[in-house]
Amino acid sequence: MDKQLELLQGTLDMLILKAVSLSPLHGYGVLLRIQQISKERLEIQQGSLYPALYRLEHQGWITSEWGESENNRRARYYRLTAAGKRRLQSETKRWNEMTTVIAGILNATPEEL
Amino acid sequence: MNLAARFKSWMRAMLRRARTEREMDEEMRFHLEARAADLMRNGLAKQEALRQARLEFGGTETTKNQCRDAIGVSFLETLMQDIRHGVRTMTRAPVFTFITIAVLALGIGANTAIFSVVDAVLLRPLAYQDSDRLVTILMNGDNPVSVANYIDWRDQNRSFSAMGAADYWSPNLTGIDSPEHIYGLKVTQSLFPMLGIDPMFGRLFVEGEDKEGADREVILSYKLWQRRFSSDSNVLGKQILLDGNAYVVVGVMPRGFTFAPFWANGELWVPNAFGSRIHNRGGNSLRIFARLKDGASLTQARAEIAGITGRLEQQFPGTNRNVVVTPLKEKVVGPIETPLLVLLAAVIFVLLITCANVAHMLLARAASRQKEVAVRAALGARRGRIVRQFLTESLLLGGLGGAAGLALAAIATRALIAISPDSIPRVQSVTIDWRAALFLAGATILTSVGFGLAPARQASSIDVNDTLKEGGRSQSESKSRNRLRSLLVISEFALALMLLIGAGLMIRTFAALQAVDAGFNPHNVISMVVSVAGSREADPGRRAVFYPHLLERVRSLPGVQAAGGINHLPLAGDIWGWPFAIEGRPKPRPGESPSAVYRIVTPGYFEAMRLPLIRGRVIADTDTSAAPAVVIINERAAAEYWTGEDPIGKRVSFDDDPKNPTWVTVIGIVKNAKQDNWTVEPAPEIYLAAFQNHDFMGDAGARAADHETYITLVARTAGDPAALASAIKEAAWSFDRNLAISQVVTMDSIVADATAQPRFEMLLLTIFAAVALVLASVGIYGVISYAASRRTHEIGVRMSLGATRSQVLLLVVQQGMRMALAGCMLGIAGALVLARLMTKLLYGVHPVDPITFASVAIGLGIVAIVACYLPARRAIRVNPVAALRCE
Repeated sequence: MDKQLELLQGTLDMLILKAVSLSPLHGYGVLLRIQQISKERLEIQQGSLYPALYRLEHQGWITSEWGESENNRRARYYRLTAAGKRRLQSETKRWNEMTTVIAGILNATPEEL
Repeated sequence: MNLAARFKSWMRAMLRRARTEREMDEEMRFHLEARAADLMRNGLAKQEALRQARLEFGGTETTKNQCRDAIGVSFLETLMQDIRHGVRTMTRAPVFTFITIAVLALGIGANTAIFSVVDAVLLRPLAYQDSDRLVTILMNGDNPVSVANYIDWRDQNRSFSAMGAADYWSPNLTGIDSPEHIYGLKVTQSLFPMLGIDPMFGRLFVEGEDKEGADREVILSYKLWQRRFSSDSNVLGKQILLDGNAYVVVGVMPRGFTFAPFWANGELWVPNAFGSRIHNRGGNSLRIFARLKDGASLTQARAEIAGITGRLEQQFPGTNRNVVVTPLKEKVVGPIETPLLVLLAAVIFVLLITCANVAHMLLARAASRQKEVAVRAALGARRGRIVRQFLTESLLLGGLGGAAGLALAAIATRALIAISPDSIPRVQSVTIDWRAALFLAGATILTSVGFGLAPARQASSIDVNDTLKEGGRSQSESKSRNRLRSLLVISEFALALMLLIGAGLMIRTFAALQAVDAGFNPHNVISMVVSVAGSREADPGRRAVFYPHLLERVRSLPGVQAAGGINHLPLAGDIWGWPFAIEGRPKPRPGESPSAVYRIVTPGYFEAMRLPLIRGRVIADTDTSAAPAVVIINERAAAEYWTGEDPIGKRVSFDDDPKNPTWVTVIGIVKNAKQDNWTVEPAPEIYLAAFQNHDFMGDAGARAADHETYITLVARTAGDPAALASAIKEAAWSFDRNLAISQVVTMDSIVADATAQPRFEMLLLTIFAAVALVLASVGIYGVISYAASRRTHEIGVRMSLGATRSQVLLLVVQQGMRMALAGCMLGIAGALVLARLMTKLLYGVHPVDPITFASVAIGLGIVAIVACYLPARRAIRVNPVAALRCE
């Protein structure tokens, strides 16, 4: 397994929004989903997940309801709201622009200047 | 929102909060279990899997806290938590809590009470329209003015929009049951409109009513209307008898209205008909009030009045001298301003000491709670969180202290009103109003934030590692904290010393006042004013019979040793100066003739008062209108007007008529007696024989004047003088039921009243100083015992290395005494400045009185030594081995 990367500051919210946009998930499910997509290359502090979820719900990007888990336990499922969907789109756009710009800078060679 | 709805919403919030908590728990449990299940699938045993899951998750409590923060429930939550924690901490240290709250309550309560008094008496404007535009115009700023001068000023000025005048008047209210001698004013019609106060009902005086003949109308005060007319709303149009004349009630003034504000006992007002007095430039009796025109300044008005009176003085020499325009408010509160400000300063000192004390009590406590704070910090409490908790705790203390202080203030304010001397104007209007309450709230919050932050800042900036490692053993404190605490103790001592010196000076003043010789002997003397106005005895020729009979009957009462009468009683009655001529001397220039305080006495007065005769004889029963007229003078008059001569046998005249003077012969010299002011040396004084005075006896052809229709009876008794009051009253009423008897009071209490204000100031300053002393001692004791306990380890080391007990004792005591001495030095420096501000309050003692300064400093030093010695003695009892081993 490759060495795990530490999460960049402020990106957890974006990842959570993306994870629950695919399908409603409970907290642990969010963790698994992110790890699965990232091929286990991101290290997420499990405890930090919940304050983020509560904050996002409080801000109205996601909403939650209690449901049944895969192994028939009661679990709280989060899903994206309409506002959250717009938020995710704008965040994604912003992120992509940012990475393009930064990558451009980092890949610059003397000839291009 | 009504109460039920509020309760419902609170319940909902509480229920939802409980659900939120439950769900949070459940959610995290689910996470841990799901993670553990996954780990078990990877081959871990159940226990190991759960352990691993919890490790990966991190602290659940921290997470939950962050969640609460995220959804914003945590503010209230934290607050409740902090309050619960605070209450627990407080109940765990009940002595500390009690002392802190008591100290705070004392400081805040005393401050609110004094502030309420200062506010009501000094700060609040007078209760008239635009009262800051009102002025008085009086001779020397104090003395009344003649009618003709008033009229000239009124007609010639351009600075005032209105001017009015008032005569003091004390008629008998008769014709209703129990006649009464009451006080009132005769006012010009212009006066009430000038004040801008409407009557509660009825009307004010109208133009023309101050003409003679049309002046039989009266306006009642609310108090009199309530007291004597049972708040009867049909009182308008009723007739009442004042000095036997019928007056029609035309109005009742609103509750709380007083005028003039410096004669607050005035209860009714009638029109002032000047009549023939309009040409009179002698007979000064009017107090002048005026309202400044819009745009006119006080300076302009003063300049103009100076110009007018200057011209008048040239025209009529000896009149219009030194006429002073004073803002009305200054006239009312001026005399009391300095004492109240001194008291206010004193009570603020007490508050400062209170704050310092509570602050270092909390400092000491915060230090002993270092370990608790360190543990909390190690468990993840952020700095802000700790500061907040300490703030909540100190606000809780401050709030409780403030609440207790408010209760105390209510009691203290009432007590202050009760014990305040009559010389403080407007004191009856003192209430704890919203401004005082605001002041209280401000004081509470400032105090608690002030002392709450210091320990919190210290507590939150400690090094967690060190504190935990050392296991709470910290033998020496940080320098800065030590310095802060020393500073607090030093300032407490300095403040306490200044207060003690202030109190000491007042005590010395009071002692000097007590030692003043009144001239007469006030013990066992009862006095009362017997007024014949409106009774049968006022008729021509009746008084000459009635007064001697009355005195005779009083003297015959068992227990009465002597009895006499006087027109105006010293210290309680009016004071009249009267010019006179001395036989055989050249006629003096106008305004420069000799003058003396004018008293009229009956035989028996000097005996009753025990006013010693120096030479000659006193007035006897034989000095009747048939005998040659005689007078007695006081020592001061003898020294002033008969320097190097024997006054006895010399003749003087009080007549206005220089052509054909009535000469009266000086027959005796009596000791100087206090006149109207306890601390002022008596002026020359002349006593005339009452039974030889036509006006006073109301003989046919005498002028009718209000002040000649009553006499102040004085009787010396064998036992308690107050016990004889009713017997003497009955004796008078046995002649005539319509006699009004008032101001029944013992001479002792008149003397006590004369020194009431300094006594009041002394009492309060002493109380404040005592509180300050206790607080400062508790402060230094607390600090030294705390410091000593922190140094137990060090002391153990020193003693095991061979230090003797006395060396250690010295070490500990020295630490405290250094602070005490520094405080005393600062305090003396401050007192040197502050005592000068007190000069006006002092009598018979220099503001920088070495005895007071030295004894207070030494006394405070001794208190400091004791406060240091007690904890030091405990410190040296320490067993060195135990001290080293402990902790």
